[in-house]
Amino acid sequence: MENLAAIIQPHDADRLALIDGDATITYGDLRNRVDRLRARLADAGYGPHSRLAILAGNETAFVVGTLAALGLGAQVTPVRPTSPPPELIRKLAAVEPDVLLIGDAGRWAIDHADDIGPPLFDLQDLDTGPADGTTNGAGADGPPIVERDADDIAFLLLTSGVSSDSKVAMMSHGNLAWVQQAITEADEGLHADDIALGVLPFSHIFGLNVVLLATLRVGGTVVLQRRFDAELSLELIRAHGITTISGAPPMWQRWARADAPDDTLASVRNAASGAAALPAEVFERIRDRYGVEIAEGYGLTETSPVVTWSRGIQPRATSVGQPLAGVEVVLVESDGTPVEPGDTGEIVVRSPGVFKGYLDAPELTAAVLTDDGWFWTGDMGVFDDDGYLYLVDRMKDIIIVSGFNVYPAEVESVLMEHPDVTGAIAVATPHGETGETVAAHVAGRVTADELDAFVRARLSTYKCPTEYHFVDELPVAPTGKLIRRELRP
Amino acid sequence: MSGSPRFRFESAPDLPGADAASKYGFGAIRRVVNRLWDVSVEGVEHVPLDGPALITPNHLSFCDSVFVPASLPRRVWAIGKGEYMDDWKTKHLFPALGMIPVDRSGGDAAQVALDTAARVLDGGHLFMIYPEGTRSRSGNLHKGRTGAARLSIRCDAPIVPVGHIGTVDVQPPDQFVMKPRLPVTVRFGAPMRAEDHGDPSDPRVLRIFTDAVMFEIARLSEQRYVDTYAGKETEAAQAATTPTAPDRATGPATAPTRPAEADRSPLTPPARPAISVPAGR
Repeated sequence: MENLAAIIQPHDADRLALIDGDATITYGDLRNRVDRLRARLADAGYGPHSRLAILAGNETAFVVGTLAALGLGAQVTPVRPTSPPPELIRKLAAVEPDVLLIGDAGRWAIDHADDIGPPLFDLQDLDTGPADGTTNGAGADGPPIVERDADDIAFLLLTSGVSSDSKVAMMSHGNLAWVQQAITEADEGLHADDIALGVLPFSHIFGLNVVLLATLRVGGTVVLQRRFDAELSLELIRAHGITTISGAPPMWQRWARADAPDDTLASVRNAASGAAALPAEVFERIRDRYGVEIAEGYGLTETSPVVTWSRGIQPRATSVGQPLAGVEVVLVESDGTPVEPGDTGEIVVRSPGVFKGYLDAPELTAAVLTDDGWFWTGDMGVFDDDGYLYLVDRMKDIIIVSGFNVYPAEVESVLMEHPDVTGAIAVATPHGETGETVAAHVAGRVTADELDAFVRARLSTYKCPTEYHFVDELPVAPTGKLIRRELRP
Repeated sequence: MSGSPRFRFESAPDLPGADAASKYGFGAIRRVVNRLWDVSVEGVEHVPLDGPALITPNHLSFCDSVFVPASLPRRVWAIGKGEYMDDWKTKHLFPALGMIPVDRSGGDAAQVALDTAARVLDGGHLFMIYPEGTRSRSGNLHKGRTGAARLSIRCDAPIVPVGHIGTVDVQPPDQFVMKPRLPVTVRFGAPMRAEDHGDPSDPRVLRIFTDAVMFEIARLSEQRYVDTYAGKETEAAQAATTPTAPDRATGPATAPTRPAEADRSPLTPPARPAISVPAGR
């Protein structure tokens, strides 16, 4: 059975699958609920050709709704429940779902039902109480889980929540399953005794596949945290003996500073960070305070998402680790030739986790995915002599001054070294002589002259900003990624 | 030679060209070069008179390997093709100029070359390397290879950027004869160190430092910089006026048009990159 919905089938009925606040849901309960919802959805006319979107937080309804929709053989699109109404409408328009399932965190959408295209289906209407016994995927009188091939599309995922022109990535059952298996089978991989903190949003591939689905596949337990709150996370970790934490850098930053005993992470076996660069000082602070080394990883929606990670190896600060077993990673020049060892190039990836293309956008797909399966990530990176990958920057953010590449991240990190700077973004601005120059957008109590002198002592002249703009706040995505595109001229 | 201090012939018994013939040969070359060409040397005070340093010139002509060493206040060593030692025209001349022959046919040739260079630098001498890797046929300054930066970090030796002008007129490509009485300018820039461009243990610094050196070379040589490696194929592709990625060019209509975007050609399939990093364990 290739259908991802079947990942919960093999586990003992009394094993704990989810902890959601005061509620505990065993695998038996979960199967019952999923079976019943699948039957309801089938009765309502949804099936293998349907597209179901789901607007829910990290709550039981998300898990039940997603597995029920997958079990129908349908294609599923999770949408971030904190999306403002216009963004939600735009995202739904990109996918054109037949129905929008809503959980607690998505109930606000009921007030906007008239503006939202598809009909709403409130997951709260369900009788969610545990039923008798176990099932094997065929509910008492409901339809069985629909057979799917590995290449059939399971999810239509909106990439990059920060983009105004989101793309929709087609992810197959086989794509996600392969990564789940790879991270399970790896050294120090996931296993059935693992208890994972489910705080990364399940609407994003990292939380969806690495945290939720992979843990359910091995028969582990996911402790749901519906909304990020650093102290609450740490309480959950202590209360449930959580062994696996995956977080985004801003979460790690808050956990590093949170008011909690230093032995709070004693039960943690795997601590991972992804989605944006983890500052070295956060890595060090977590290590020094809690005795846990954060294993940084790298991935994209289009790669399901893990490309590299640091589990099973000694993590190195600011490195995103080494390729996951079975993932080929090559750094190339723009013409596709591999760079020389030690040099920076675009990260190109091939693995069974690489997606099937962008929905209804063959030319966008052809620009990043070749016939022989290589996915061009648009990220620049470099390997050290031991095969650890370090990210450099997004290719399209590179500023080209007189033919020379300026990596905005380098300029930003120098600006951030100034004690009075609290945030910095570097973007390109057109220039008559050099093509482009660097424009800096800075938050902090400092003058342009001070910064100019500071930067000139630390950077080659062509990298020094020629314009400074001072702002109160910089655009930052929830993952901690700076949103440079909003500041481009 | 304006502004050049007295030349010091370093003795380096463990390196090629230590014999008396080389010493007098090299002195003769310096005199002949200065008599036959109108050479002006600028910034020679930047070249350290003691201790190791990498000399990194732009590369336009075969005769760069004559003019740059002849402009230095000290001897300099460099790596040359082992084949030169089989040719009567070059087998005495080149070692006198400081060439260390390295057989480039072997699989570990690059490592041998690096180790040889490190031996020169660790001995406290000057080592010359063309960061472009080969001569630029386009006249532009091409993307630097990271070997010099790697050596600089490994041997704790500064890089002295060098830009020269005029050598390609003295000896255009594929000509053996050097045309006399033409002007040649050789400019040395201030020594550069990796630690001024980041943490030398961070692998990202290799490229950052290399680009910073190329920027200085471009300033000194007054060349236009292009971010592709020198070599016949890339330059031929560049000569074509249209980007090689028709699909990319007409593709993402939403993408802001930037030159870098158009130059990129993921669509010419990356033709299955030959090397792949095997799974991380």
